[in-house]
Formats: sequence, C-alpha cells, structure tokens
Amino acid sequence: SVQAHKEEDNPEKTMEMNGLTPVQDSYDYDLIVIGGGSGGLAAAKEAAKYEKKVMVLDFVTPTPQGSSWGLGGTCVNVGCIPKKLMHQAALLGQALQDSRKFGWQFTEEVEHNWMTMTESVQNYIGSLNWGYRVALRDTKVTYENAYGEFVGPHTIKATNKKGVEKLYTAERFIIATGERPRYLGVPGDKEHCISSDDLFSLPYCPGKTLVVGASYVALECAGFLAGLGLDVTVMVRSILLRGFDQDMANKIGEYMKEHGVNFIREFVPIKVERVEEGTPGILKVTAKSTTGNEIIEGEYNTVLLAIGRDPCTRKIGLDKVGVNINEKTGKIPVNDEEQTNVPYIYAIGDILQDKLELTPVAIQAGRLLVRRLYAGATTKCDYVNVPTTVFTPLEYGACGYSEETAVEKFGEENIEVYHSHFWPLEWTVPSRDNNKCYAKIICNIQDNERVVGFHVLGPNAGEVTQGFAAAIKCGLTKEQLDGTVGIHPVCAEV
Amino acid sequence: MGWEEMQVRGYLEFVRTAQRYHGRPIFALFCGDKDAEGRSWCPDCVTAEPIVRKELHNLPDESVFIYCLVGDRAYWKDPNNEFRKNLKLTGVPTLLKYGTPQKLVEEECFKAELVRMLFTED
Repeated sequence: SVQAHKEEDNPEKTMEMNGLTPVQDSYDYDLIVIGGGSGGLAAAKEAAKYEKKVMVLDFVTPTPQGSSWGLGGTCVNVGCIPKKLMHQAALLGQALQDSRKFGWQFTEEVEHNWMTMTESVQNYIGSLNWGYRVALRDTKVTYENAYGEFVGPHTIKATNKKGVEKLYTAERFIIATGERPRYLGVPGDKEHCISSDDLFSLPYCPGKTLVVGASYVALECAGFLAGLGLDVTVMVRSILLRGFDQDMANKIGEYMKEHGVNFIREFVPIKVERVEEGTPGILKVTAKSTTGNEIIEGEYNTVLLAIGRDPCTRKIGLDKVGVNINEKTGKIPVNDEEQTNVPYIYAIGDILQDKLELTPVAIQAGRLLVRRLYAGATTKCDYVNVPTTVFTPLEYGACGYSEETAVEKFGEENIEVYHSHFWPLEWTVPSRDNNKCYAKIICNIQDNERVVGFHVLGPNAGEVTQGFAAAIKCGLTKEQLDGTVGIHPVCAEV
Repeated sequence: MGWEEMQVRGYLEFVRTAQRYHGRPIFALFCGDKDAEGRSWCPDCVTAEPIVRKELHNLPDESVFIYCLVGDRAYWKDPNNEFRKNLKLTGVPTLLKYGTPQKLVEEECFKAELVRMLFTED
C-alpha cells in the first residue's frame, strides 16, 4: 500500500513513462492526423474503427501557378491516379495504331483532345475527393480543410483558407504531410514553369514540352505526353531513375528515345524566360552543360519540372515540440514503429527518412500503427521486398534488389542473374519491337538460389509483378520458379 | 432570396428544369414514382424523402431543389433508361449536387449528417 500511495502521489511520472504528457483537462481528440493523403486517411479511418475521437487536417497550399485540389493527398489528386489514367490515354493511342493491323478500319486520322481527357480525369478525382469526405463523415472523423502546425505540447493551430485560426489538443499526433515538387532555384522557374502539381489539371494542352529531371515522375510524364502526340524533350542532369536498377533504367531510356522522346543529357537549366504570352505561350530555356561551359537555348510551350520532391516538414512547428528532422533533407527519422523522438508524435508516408515513398506503404504503415496504438497489435510495417512499377511507355515492374545493390550486398560471385528478352504476342501482328521487353531475376546462390530481385520491362508490368512479389515474400527460389508451369500465351510466363 | 423547389417527372422535364436554372446551385433528389395514395414503389425512397426534406432549410441561398420522379419500376429497371445512361444514376434514391461529382446514393440518403454536408459544404 506504500507503493500505491507513492504512485498516486506522482501519476504524472507514470504517464510520462508511457509517452504521454499529462495535462489537467482531457484532450480535445484522441488522435489528430496532419495531412489527408494516403497515409493520413488510412490511419484516421482505422482509428475511428476503434471508436477513437479523431481529427484530420488537410490543406493544399496552391502552387505558384495557382493550382489546388481536394481531400485525398498527392496520389489521388496529382500523383498515381491521374498519372495512370493519362498513361492509359497514351496506351490507347498506341492501341488505335496497332488496331489497323488487326483489321479495324477507320479512315480519319486519330487526334487527341487534351481538354476532354483532363475533364474526365478531374471528374473522377472529384468523385474520389467526395468519397473520402463521405467516408470520414460517416465514420465520425472530424475533417477540417485547414493548415495544421504545432504551437506547443499536444497543441496544434489550424488555419483555414480564410485565415481563421483554431487551437486543438490531442493525446497523440500522426504527421502525414507528404511532399511537394522541388523548384530549380533559377530565374523564371516559379513564374513560368509547371510541376506535376499543375499538369493533371492544366486547362490547356501543354504543347511542345521540356521535362526537366530524370525521376520516374519526369519519365512517366514525358512518356504519356509523347504518347498523346506532343513534342517532348527530357533534360537530364546525370543518370536516369537514380536508385533503380541502372540496366533497366537505360533500357527504359532507350525505348523512349526510339519512340519519339528527345533527350538532352548532362545539362541543367539556368534561366527560363517568357517569349510569348498565351496558354500555353512560348518559353525560352537557357541551359548549361554539367561537363563543360557549353550553353544551349531552346524554345518550348511548357516547361515541366520533375527534379524531386521535398517533405512538408519545415513550416509545421516541429521545433515547438522538439521533433527532430534531417535538416538537409527535411525528412523525419522514426523508429521501426513510426515513432519520432517525441513519444506521442508519429509520422508516416513520404516524409519518413530512408523509407519508400509509395502509397501502399503509407497506407500499410498508417493502419498497422493505429492497430498497435489502439488495438493491442504488435505487427510492424514490413518495408522489405515492396514491389513497385514505373509507368513509362514501356512499363517497368520491380521487387527486391537491383542488380547493383545485390552485388554490393551479397558479392558478385554469390549472385546469379537469369534474364531473357521476350516478344509479347500482342506485339507480333502490329510489328512492334521484338527485342525490347525484358525480364531478369537475381538469385542468392548461397541461400538456395533464393530470388532476391525481380525486374520486368513490358506491358502490364505492374499486374505481372504483383504476384511475384507475394512469391518473393514467401521465399521463392529459382527451383520453385522453374517448377511453376507458365500460363500461355502471356508475358508473365517468361 | 432563399431556396426554391421544383417538382418534375421524367428525364426530359428534369433536364429542361435544370437548364432553366443554369448558374444557380442545383440539388436534385431522384425517387421512384408514387401511386394514387402517394406511396413510392421504392421503399428506400420512402425512407429517405422525409430525412432529406428535414435538411432543406440548410440549402444555400439562391439554390434550386429539384424533386424528380424517375418513372415506374419497370422503367427504372431498364439498364438503358435515360437517367442511367445520361446522368449515370445507379440507384434510387439519389441525392446530388448537379454538375459536380457530389452525390449520395440509396442508404447514404438516410444519414442526415451526409445530407447536410452535401447541402452546406463545398
């Protein structure tokens, strides 16, 4: 009873040990989620299932060009969803060309209407925004379209677009603020260039476009713009798809080059000027070589910057609550339970340091985190062997190690790479390339030839890769793969 | 000026009415026809209508609320009826904000909170 008395005297100390800072009154909310994107919404909806009082704050600071969007985050509004739809639009254009060889007859030349496509895409996105709002309201999650920032322990300030400020307190917070496109930092970039944040709702056809960057965003956008019939040039500072298997990255680049995308390698823009007004008008880009003093100029209707994305962590008051961020990158380091250095503050999604920037990863992390917090679960998010797909004109699906990383980790003599070109049956009749599609697996010799890397370049790469990712998660070996009878005739059988 | 209600029957009348009020916020509730006693063949519509009507006072000024009877059950079940084909309706009752992707379908219309959100939020 002496012990009990002691704890009663110091309940605050007990609470502190559990990562909770005590306050006199109870908090407004059990959980406040800052950011209504893939991760934030998944976490909020999960928490509501356990009858927690949850608030979601979502706010989109308009782009320099004035673009903004509704609830749902990057993926839904200016990422995966519109990207895949426009990629599909481009693929359909190709299919129309192929269709003649399969007997379809149409006399007119086929043209593409940017506005029709964009309106359809935006209408679909609008239904998703609405769907999320219905889902939140239905599960009693409070949603505010307001910019959230920490002002003190357990307290955030929410400012709406009219400037009205409100304060809220919560026992726990999840930061899921995501990222925004980076600008070049050269004259004319913010005034004249657009980013992926603007592209998918652009109210006029972009015309002749310069895409600056070599990220998957740059290559995917360049790919579908070219597929829609536009004159596209990609300006690359050094390598393509940094972080991806370079053998595959180069094959992607080659394919795009052979199919009408121009590349300017080893140059960076140093100035962007407007030459002619209009939608889109004409811009002049001056660029400097990265290997010498050469300067080149070019004129384009649109300049699309896709040189990287920066986390939205610098202006949300993290200093007021002591959350550490990587000062250089803005990313937030967390432990394997997505907890920051401040015990009651968690973070998920693209803003995390050294984690994959993918929607399904953010969703998984958010859900598992909430289950651990409120449902006594212990499962942590598995960031290993996460499959991805790049939706360039020739799609690239991958799971596991790139060849370079496998060599680094296991040693060149300990890995075996099996590879093959293949010619999709659907490409034979219309005489499309017979030596471009390609697949390879990387095996760890010392571990029963376990498949540690899977890479495929070809149509429907995402669909193909998904199943193999599950097999890899189960410890697929080369022998098991060989023992699996193929489905014929499909690309995946290779 | 507050809001006003228009009652219409059938697709053509709906479209003509919506066009007449182009420029003002238009909300529409689509229900199955009512018999001589005033009961609809659509049970969910019977449930939803009073709930929706109770929230009408939240409509923004200048709005138009179109109460539209779509037709009899056989007409509605036809997969090619104009409401399905042109307005992309998938069920009755449907409550929507015309010209936007914002809508509530079937049991969603039973929830006063959601109806209020549709009427009052952007």
